Amino acid sequence: MAAVQETIDQVRQIDVDQYKYGFETIIEVDKAPKGLSEDIIRFISAKKQEPEWMLEWRLDAYQRWLTMEEPTWARVDYPKIDFNELYYYAAPKNMTGPSSLEEVDPELLRVYEKLGIPLQEQEMLAGVQKPRVAVDAVFDSVSVVTTFKKELQKAGVIFMSISEAIREHPELIKQYLGSVVPTTDNYYATLNAAVFTDGSFVFVPKGVRCPMELSTYFRINEKNTGQFERTLIIAEEGAYVSYLEGCTAPQRDENQLHAAVVELVALDDAEIKYSTVQNWYPGDAQGKGGIYNFVTKRGDCRGHRSKISWTQVETGSAITWKYPSCILRGDDSRGEFYSIAVSNGYQQIDSGTKMIHLGKNTSSRIISKGISAGRSNNTYRGQVSIHRRAENARNFTNCDSLLIGDKCGAHTVPYIEVKNASAQVEHEATTSKISDDQKFYVMQRGIPEEEAIALIVNGFVKDVIQELPMEFAVEAQKLIGISLEGSVG
Amino acid sequence: MNIHTPIRLTPAETALVETYTAQVGDLPGDGAVTVTRDRLLNDIKTSGLPTRRVEAWHYTDLRTLLRNVPAPLAAAPSLATIAPLVEGAQVLPVLHGAVDAATSIDGVEVASFADSLVNGTAAAGLAALDKDDAIGKINGSLVRDGYSIAIPAGSTVEAPIELQALHGAGQVHTRFPVTFGAGSRATFIERHRSATGEAALVSSISDIMLEEGAEAVWIILQEQGAEDTHLGQVRVKFGTDSKLRLFVINAGGKLVRQELRIDVDGEGSELTLRGVNLLGGETHTDVTLVLGHNVPNTNSTEIFRNVVFDRARGVFQGMIRVAPDAQKTDAKMACNTLLLTDDGEFSVKPELEIFADDVICGHGATVSDIDNNHLYYLQSRGIPENKARAMLVNAFVAEVVEELEDEKLVEALEGVISAWLEKHA
Repeated sequence: MAAVQETIDQVRQIDVDQYKYGFETIIEVDKAPKGLSEDIIRFISAKKQEPEWMLEWRLDAYQRWLTMEEPTWARVDYPKIDFNELYYYAAPKNMTGPSSLEEVDPELLRVYEKLGIPLQEQEMLAGVQKPRVAVDAVFDSVSVVTTFKKELQKAGVIFMSISEAIREHPELIKQYLGSVVPTTDNYYATLNAAVFTDGSFVFVPKGVRCPMELSTYFRINEKNTGQFERTLIIAEEGAYVSYLEGCTAPQRDENQLHAAVVELVALDDAEIKYSTVQNWYPGDAQGKGGIYNFVTKRGDCRGHRSKISWTQVETGSAITWKYPSCILRGDDSRGEFYSIAVSNGYQQIDSGTKMIHLGKNTSSRIISKGISAGRSNNTYRGQVSIHRRAENARNFTNCDSLLIGDKCGAHTVPYIEVKNASAQVEHEATTSKISDDQKFYVMQRGIPEEEAIALIVNGFVKDVIQELPMEFAVEAQKLIGISLEGSVG
Repeated sequence: MNIHTPIRLTPAETALVETYTAQVGDLPGDGAVTVTRDRLLNDIKTSGLPTRRVEAWHYTDLRTLLRNVPAPLAAAPSLATIAPLVEGAQVLPVLHGAVDAATSIDGVEVASFADSLVNGTAAAGLAALDKDDAIGKINGSLVRDGYSIAIPAGSTVEAPIELQALHGAGQVHTRFPVTFGAGSRATFIERHRSATGEAALVSSISDIMLEEGAEAVWIILQEQGAEDTHLGQVRVKFGTDSKLRLFVINAGGKLVRQELRIDVDGEGSELTLRGVNLLGGETHTDVTLVLGHNVPNTNSTEIFRNVVFDRARGVFQGMIRVAPDAQKTDAKMACNTLLLTDDGEFSVKPELEIFADDVICGHGATVSDIDNNHLYYLQSRGIPENKARAMLVNAFVAEVVEELEDEKLVEALEGVISAWLEKHA
């Protein structure tokens, strides 16, 4: 992409201060210069036409971030990231907001097609009756097209990009943004607060059951752009929403940083189901390249009888550092975490969950299935904490690891903290390989070894797959098979 | 935290440094021993005791929790040995850290550990195991005595050997290197007990070496006073086809850290580890296991049962590490806790770190109150609630002790447990 290089060169020659007054470009990608400074943050904020208070919020976070140190406790190993070598803003050109798919840049559509994103608008137009999925597609940080918006509006559901929401619903943003993951939370969450460029915002009002599954397909496209997504989902009293997040990334040589923050808020009797399929570029056969995925995801069961459920299928990324958590604040609230983490090649995964029991009669369930192959390392790190006043809390945790090959590692690091006698906490973990008996049983029915392993692995992860929405379950099963290719023999 | 910034020593750290400075001329050993002692103490002086930021001390912030380091007594208190835990046991007394060099046990080589400090052979063993080994550092710099014991190859010592460590106020730092010769068999009871009830700091390291085919039983019974600090460590090295049954019972102390650092280095070897933590009062008791399966074809099972009363805090950290190539490892760990009070707490961190694929490893952890169904079952048979509770708690912990098999030992330990429970329930 010669044009991009041209921009970079141009940008290098311009004094950064000029960006405050607007940055206009006619080439395909609209990009802030490399590096991180207050000016870049002002630039992003201006680009997003954000109100002053939002800029202040970002700058506060940035000041805080400058005083923080990169965490080193996770079992992952990577060269130090130079945060001044990254781009913090890149937006595709067509910003006028197309009203139909025809108006969307055909280049973009072609990429989506390759990725298999089911933009089902066409089907709906053709009168196809199917379970509908609303897609807020994110192409390098900016929402390009949002479908089904009108139908959602009818139900009173707000589903838009977070930048739009900051402009259109500042009162909701002010109330909820950073209320689950505060700007001071951790190194990457703080960085995200300072520089996040886009993400999704969902608001389901009182008593509304969201009429369809909401879905955002994230995609990292530009070279060296850190993706800093910010997602905020609020389910008011008695509301229900299921949100799907799926990711793919094209092959890249250089490591790309992805530090997203996802915040979920469930009020009384509300339920949020958040599902992720993550298949970013894991690096090549030598372990070169691949995405760094340092994500902070947290749900707050703020209301009584609320429920938050995380389901994730992690097959991609060179390094994953991710602990979707639930704060069980409301009485009788429930948190769930279902995870499949597949690592192959030189991938490193350090993932798990936190269940913080604060309210009475709260319950949580953790099912984690780790599969390591190749030379990868796969760590489950989870915390279950029963606080002093959390009467009758319940937790069940099961984390199983499967090893394929003798060069990989599988690790389990649970932290269990109980301060209330009425709690009942159970944790179990196992690590083993696929037994020869199982393999023999399948193979003697004429199934080749690699398929036999895929079959057994799919059985191993069944408990989690069945928690996924239908569309994802099929995709996830395929993904696991693909991820383990070449791990046998 | 920047490691180059000199730290401000806490009163406890200062007290440890002062203890060393006051005793340095008087501590047994010179040359390499002194160099090692100096280095270990200097580590404490420059980096301080570990805080919760150090992963191995996540739930026991020693820097904050260790408040009371009593000054060592000018003269050792006069203490007398008590009856052994089991009848017929041969007692090796350790009275306020002082051993009786004249004690001998038939068929067993017994010497004072101070001798090996003086002649320098103990120097290498004094080093800390790693940079977070605070117990190794404290003990290594301040240790005065203990017993060096060798069970000759091929011999069987029938009667249990009791290391009877009694202490008064002040500080005691002891060490017990014990070698089980090839094919030998013996049972040890390591007993730590307060004789006066006054506050004391005790650090003690047992260095167990199992040679080929040796079979050992090692029981630790820690019954220190309610004001005491106990920093215990057991280091074990397994030879080929050797077996160890290790029982750890904590039933006392205010601040207790019991580290079990076990290396399974011999093929075909087997570890059976059982533990009971009886936690009451204001105690903070931490049992930390680091178990390395370093060679193929080894087995281990670990079961811990904990009971929490009053305002007690308990910690169990259990790390099982399976090295690359340590195929056919079979390691299973369980940690079950009865949390009987809302003022107490228990934290568990069972860890698996696995680098070999042909293994079966697992761990389980539970924390709960007494099962109401069990209680109901007993009550429906006319047993009053408090008695039914006592029975259930007793059964919960006694179960693991029964695996000792030796009738006398089981009976003696059950006696200790029942007596403790009666006092606290």
